Amino acid sequence: MPDGYLPIFVFLPVAILFPVVTLFVAKLVRPSQPTPSKLGAYECGIEPASNSRGRYTVRYYIVAILFVVFDVETVFLYPWAVRYKQLGWFGVAEVAVFLAILIVGYVWAYKKGAFEWV
Amino acid sequence: MIDTALFYVFALMTLGGGILCITRRNAVHAAIWLIASLMGVAGLFLLQRAEFLFAVQIVLYIGGIMVLFLFVIMLINLDTAAAERQYSGQWKLALGAVVLAGGEIAWVMARGLPGLGAAAAVQDGGEGGSDGNVERLADLLFSEYLLPFEIVSILLLAAIVGSVFLARRRTS
Amino acid sequence: MPPLPIPEHPPVAWYLILSAILFGLGVAGFLFRRNIITVFMSIELMLNAVNLSFIAFSYQLKQVSGHIFTFFVMVVAAAEAAVGLAIILTIYKNKSTLEVDEINSLNN
Repeated sequence: MPDGYLPIFVFLPVAILFPVVTLFVAKLVRPSQPTPSKLGAYECGIEPASNSRGRYTVRYYIVAILFVVFDVETVFLYPWAVRYKQLGWFGVAEVAVFLAILIVGYVWAYKKGAFEWV
Repeated sequence: MIDTALFYVFALMTLGGGILCITRRNAVHAAIWLIASLMGVAGLFLLQRAEFLFAVQIVLYIGGIMVLFLFVIMLINLDTAAAERQYSGQWKLALGAVVLAGGEIAWVMARGLPGLGAAAAVQDGGEGGSDGNVERLADLLFSEYLLPFEIVSILLLAAIVGSVFLARRRTS
Repeated sequence: MPPLPIPEHPPVAWYLILSAILFGLGVAGFLFRRNIITVFMSIELMLNAVNLSFIAFSYQLKQVSGHIFTFFVMVVAAAEAAVGLAIILTIYKNKSTLEVDEINSLNN
């Protein structure tokens, strides 16, 4: 393993244990006397109308797809940014071609109305 | 020493997540366990000094692809999907495939491969001198693998057009 | 059970064995699940197993090319997931089912 990553693996159990231990200790300390009015939704809240596992509209899916595609694009830009100085104008040209092709897709999706929230 | 300990932890995550992913009835639970498995694989990438791919695995696989999976599971009606039969009658075939893979592993382990049993030497820079993993990867990506890099954009273009077209038709 | 061996660095064979087991799990899930989404997740498991062995060999041989192959596999997986899940949505809309055995309209 590369050096310098050890703190992450030290932090990971700490980050997992902290909320667990905190909630557990709080449960031990606090008094627990539930009444129906205490358990109900608070004054400004409303009773949930339906199951939260209901169906979402498909528009979210189109946004999610576009997010994933441009996520991939951003990941490709990262190595270029690291080697920006060494690659020079050659790298700029390569990435420009790469981006130009993807922007065609972006414009197509825009024209198609994929971003319109009806 | 610490590498080996971490290897066991990540291997447990990977295999446990994988087994639970293919056996859970609820698709959401299966997706969550697949995420655990992918995180284990990311850890194994880091153990082998693939730092860039460690980040890509988290950003792209877990942050992108798995979110897409969860979206689709939410988009379809979960209750009717969960009521359907989950396991097909092909479990004999599946068992055969797993036994085949296990036998192959056992054979390789018994026979041994020259050089593979030796611990991998710690990769310190290699031919790239003091450059890190990302720098070496960038050098290779923008020279030798230039054409695949450009073709990826066409693949992504096809993915945008195909998926937006399919998903749009649903609404009209 | 014998105690776990503890070498300084895990040998590359361990990674390859782990990758083979993971691939076997993916194949098993692909064959015995009926829910098409879980079948799709099994494909992701198999892709990850292949990525793992790419990285293991690349680490052993001190080459970065394996990392680039893995990178491209991930990108293809992203494109595949986007289009494949859109197809699943369309199938669900038309047939209201996710069972792989029910989706046989191309069969005879």
